[in-house]
Amino acid sequence: MKVQVQNLRKEFGRTVAVDTISFGFDSGHIFGFVGPNGAGKTTTMRIIATLEEPTAGDVLLNGVSVCEEPELARRSVGYVPDTLPAHADITVHEYLDFFARAYGLRGGKRAQAVAAIEEFTNVTGIREKHLKALSKGMKQRVSLGRALVHDPAVLVLDEPAAGLDPRARVELRELLLLLAEQKKAILISSHILTELTEICNGVVIIERGKILETGTIEEVLKKSRPRHTVAVRLLDGRNAELLKTLLETPFVERAREVFNEVQFELAGDEALAGDILVRLVAQNFKIVEYRQTKANLEDIFMTVTKGGVQ
Amino acid sequence: MTRAGIKMHFARWREWELNPIVVKELRQAVRSWAVTGMLLLLLIVLLVVSLAVLVNQSFEVRINENLGGQLFEALLTILAGAGILFIPLYLGIRVAAERQDNQPDLLYISTLSPARIVFGKFLCGAYMALLFFSACLPFMALTNLLRGVDLPTVFFLLAMLYVVVCTVNLAAIFIACLPVSRLFKILLSLAGFIFLFYLLAWVVASAFTLMGSGVGAMLFQRGFWINCVICLALVLTAGGLFFVLAVALISPPSANRALGPRIYVTVFWLLGGVVTGAGALNMSRPDLIFAWVAPADVLLVAALLVCISNHDHLSLRVRRKIPRNGLKRLLAFGFYNGAAGGLLWVAGLTALIILETGAVFKVDESGVLSYISSSPSSTGRYPRSMGGMPLGDFDNYVSWYVPMMLYLFAYALFALFLQRRFLSRRAPKLAGVLAAFITALTALGTNIVLFFLNELTWQSADHLQLGNAFNLMGVSSAGQQRQHILFALFLLLIALALNIPWFFTQWRNFRPPAELPPAGEQP
Repeated sequence: MKVQVQNLRKEFGRTVAVDTISFGFDSGHIFGFVGPNGAGKTTTMRIIATLEEPTAGDVLLNGVSVCEEPELARRSVGYVPDTLPAHADITVHEYLDFFARAYGLRGGKRAQAVAAIEEFTNVTGIREKHLKALSKGMKQRVSLGRALVHDPAVLVLDEPAAGLDPRARVELRELLLLLAEQKKAILISSHILTELTEICNGVVIIERGKILETGTIEEVLKKSRPRHTVAVRLLDGRNAELLKTLLETPFVERAREVFNEVQFELAGDEALAGDILVRLVAQNFKIVEYRQTKANLEDIFMTVTKGGVQ
Repeated sequence: MTRAGIKMHFARWREWELNPIVVKELRQAVRSWAVTGMLLLLLIVLLVVSLAVLVNQSFEVRINENLGGQLFEALLTILAGAGILFIPLYLGIRVAAERQDNQPDLLYISTLSPARIVFGKFLCGAYMALLFFSACLPFMALTNLLRGVDLPTVFFLLAMLYVVVCTVNLAAIFIACLPVSRLFKILLSLAGFIFLFYLLAWVVASAFTLMGSGVGAMLFQRGFWINCVICLALVLTAGGLFFVLAVALISPPSANRALGPRIYVTVFWLLGGVVTGAGALNMSRPDLIFAWVAPADVLLVAALLVCISNHDHLSLRVRRKIPRNGLKRLLAFGFYNGAAGGLLWVAGLTALIILETGAVFKVDESGVLSYISSSPSSTGRYPRSMGGMPLGDFDNYVSWYVPMMLYLFAYALFALFLQRRFLSRRAPKLAGVLAAFITALTALGTNIVLFFLNELTWQSADHLQLGNAFNLMGVSSAGQQRQHILFALFLLLIALALNIPWFFTQWRNFRPPAELPPAGEQP
């Protein structure tokens, strides 16, 4: 399954929620969708799920347009919205059973599919509970189960980890990795960027409806962080002296004290980092730790976005 | 569905399953406090009323020969209240909650077709009504034992009420599906609720009238069954219209949403025209034609507003279905999405209504046209009676209906021009709002200006106000009516001239795409 978002634009009156964006992802990939609140993530996801009509552009699911053939596209999309099901007077099992019926599963096949989903999302123990009585984490599982009940090739998850406790988050992460192994194309938005870094193959960073960065995690990290950040920890706490020395060293920028260590950015490669280490040792700095810090998605997000909302 | 598909469908009857919506809705309804509470309340009220009537009778010395009838009237009123007011309200609220603009229920993006969703909602309402009626039936059957009402009357009136409740349910589903704001929906529901009270009063009054005659005594009368069939056909037609409209409303915008409602309206418009026209000619009662003309006119005015609110852009899937043959393409133009085609469709039906009405009243084609230059009532051009009936109705019809439609078309076209030319970035439904606004402005504006010019009096209301479509109801002189027709025609010609380039552009664009990439394949 190949998902292609092509020049997608959505206007609400004068507000441009999504401003002509394009990106794509494939089966077996988990694609992160990152941006500040009001960036246009939910609108884009709702368009992919056929809940909204774009003002211009299209989304193709293996060539099937979500605008032209929404009925056909819906067969291959499972959508987990940011707001969770709030149906009154219906149990978890009945809710999943209804959606299995709605997606055309019949008789024994439906019963099997619902049982499998209940087991997969670990809601078997609460299948007779009413939806309204569920905790947020449990509702999130049910919502994921509902999205998976017809075995879609594309999963669109809008903030699935929001409000979940640490255990539930870990479990959700494991579920998503399992789904990716089952060759599902997954688009996930989340504000918990460290988690996305761990599970995503690719990422789109969006702000004010426009794409700021897109590509594989490695590509984005490389593109956004061409400079290395190096952290130095001294045994005797001569941080002020070290700072002064570093600021006088060529190719070193933005040297600053962070907690009990000194960090600086290096406009050069690893060989240069080695040269600087040699110089520092030569100047009798008692270095107990000298490491290159890895930039993560959070750093990139903070660098490329300005926090603007519409 | 192909013939083989239908055959396969029936061959696998063991695998048939209930509509998923019905299953879900009924599961929720039986657990809902609203439904169970209302059912319990209904039973308590029925019990209390029955007991009160029986206890009250026990104090009477004389035997009441109509006790059963009186009790039945009371029980029927209660059931009608619950059926006509509560069930549609419950259904409407549920559907409206699911169709919220910002958060539509996810069942609307499942693979369930819009028709199945609406039919499922309708079936749920029908089952709920059946539940309420079943709870009431033992009480009503008991009234037969108390004398004053026969069993055929009981069952006939219950069946009649049931059909009305089902139709009102469809109307509630339609209102709930309208793509308008929550506030507007609430206002519309309030107006609908007031209408439902009138409907309730009418249903109860009709039931009482039928009880007075006794349905049992009329069972073998042909006239009774003809009236029943006509009423049933009208109610079912209205229900069917609400159904197709609701389905169109929840269909994806890229689908050919106009096709279903336009075909439905055309078929029933044609059927109504043929039946009433034939009836009018056979029975020498030309006035019968107005039983068709009046509702058709209301429908066409509403259709006019809806049509000009349509988008001009046709989705690829709609364009793929446009026939290549010229004549078929012209026919499809009137039935497919798009404001231009919609206008042509409404104009066609309106013209045919006027022509058929003219034909029924034996007015030749030139008669209608020459009416503009000479008043029929003053010249006596038309026969003054037909089948013993004066033709004043037709005079009124031509002098009132024709300029009214000319005005409405002109204002609709002006609104269309303004929206397409100056407000094209706004949603096309603005054209419909503008048309209503222009019509209201020309009606209210002229009156308000004249009110101040005439020293704060409304004396000009009955005088000639060219441009005010509603002034046609106030003026009575043939000369003034003629001036209205001429002025409305003048406005329409200007509006047409303004819109002709747009119209031809739409017609040119209404063609199948050059290349047809099959759906579902990689382009």
